[in-house]
Amino acid sequence: MAKIEPIVGRYIWVPYEGTEYRMYFEEAGNPNGIPMICLHTAGTDGREWRHQLCDEKINKDFRVIAIDLPRHGKSIPPYEWYQENEEYKLTAKYYSGIIMAFSKALGLDKPVIMGSSMGGNICLHLARDYEDEVSALIAVEACEWSPGWHLDWLRHAHIHGGEVCATSVFGLMAPQSPDKYRWETWWYYSQGGPGIFKGDLYFYSYDHDFRGQTQKLSGKVPIYYMTGVYDFACTPEMTEEAARNTKNSECIIMEEIGHFPMSENPEVFNRYLYPVLEKIVAAAK
Amino acid sequence: MFDTSWMTRWQSAVNTNGPMSWLGKHLTADILLGFGEKQFVVNFRNGKVASFTDQLGPETCYQLALKAPAESWAKFCEKMPPPMYNDIWAMAHPLHGRLQMEGDQKVLWQNMRAMFWAFDRMREV
Repeated sequence: MAKIEPIVGRYIWVPYEGTEYRMYFEEAGNPNGIPMICLHTAGTDGREWRHQLCDEKINKDFRVIAIDLPRHGKSIPPYEWYQENEEYKLTAKYYSGIIMAFSKALGLDKPVIMGSSMGGNICLHLARDYEDEVSALIAVEACEWSPGWHLDWLRHAHIHGGEVCATSVFGLMAPQSPDKYRWETWWYYSQGGPGIFKGDLYFYSYDHDFRGQTQKLSGKVPIYYMTGVYDFACTPEMTEEAARNTKNSECIIMEEIGHFPMSENPEVFNRYLYPVLEKIVAAAK
Repeated sequence: MFDTSWMTRWQSAVNTNGPMSWLGKHLTADILLGFGEKQFVVNFRNGKVASFTDQLGPETCYQLALKAPAESWAKFCEKMPPPMYNDIWAMAHPLHGRLQMEGDQKVLWQNMRAMFWAFDRMREV
């Protein structure tokens, strides 16, 4: 009997601000379940969520959808990318806008958004700018401000971009996480397009600065913060500070895991995730 | 810890490591490692620790220095290092600043994979 996973991948054309983007997404789970969009970390793609897409417990109640942002994974850049006058820089406005444009194109009704790292940080922007269009936010490895990593070394003609992007994030994972999954995450990072990790970190380290704004979120959408103790870029203390300032939020600190919980140690992460998803299911009934 | 005997054992761990034989093919650089007050200049040649010295003088040259308190390096070297000490960047990230990098940092970025692999061998000493 062949061992075939339940994941199905498809392409969708997403119109956003005058451009049509050919975006790749993978999905699994209950087609009539609660839609949940999963956002990858900077410089990589939706493969990070493969374990959650294959988890029967998650799939029972959710339609799990992992997207590749434009320029990431199998989502090609806009056709004119090679003649852009400025290097790629992800902005909060574009990032949140393209997520919601994807949701609209796929016809999703108030999805849950779960993202990690930059995908976690964008949850704060979604809570502020799209609170009527999402039902819950799971902000993994998220905080109000995460400085320090928008570096030219990450796109430099004298440096191997793939190896250096992957190696520079490897230590963000916990030593307790299985080697096979840590090095799989390294592999994903080694395959990003040139300058894409750096460009994503423009959002992560510069354009995302929610200091003084988190308190102003209405609290209409629940936010579940989840951070691993080995995350040195977004420490548990930084997440706890954000959660303290966020109405209608919970803060979950995860032991023996780092910045890429879903891919570096899916068994441990899912154990922390199940109770969050149960609360979302209960609220939906 | 972090004396000549320890450095010799680390040198052996690096030079006999299987993946290092191909990961380090292009790693040729002179690096100062500062373990608190104790400092060594390590001469990498094609991925091998060809030599090292703690006799630093006017003629000792190196391209890059990595300096941290000995206590920080000791945590880094634990078999299961604690959070914020498990990686060079964990210690060097601007948020934490436990490890200082000085000199030509391009050398580090160009050789990061092999260099970090070599440093991870410190946990085998």
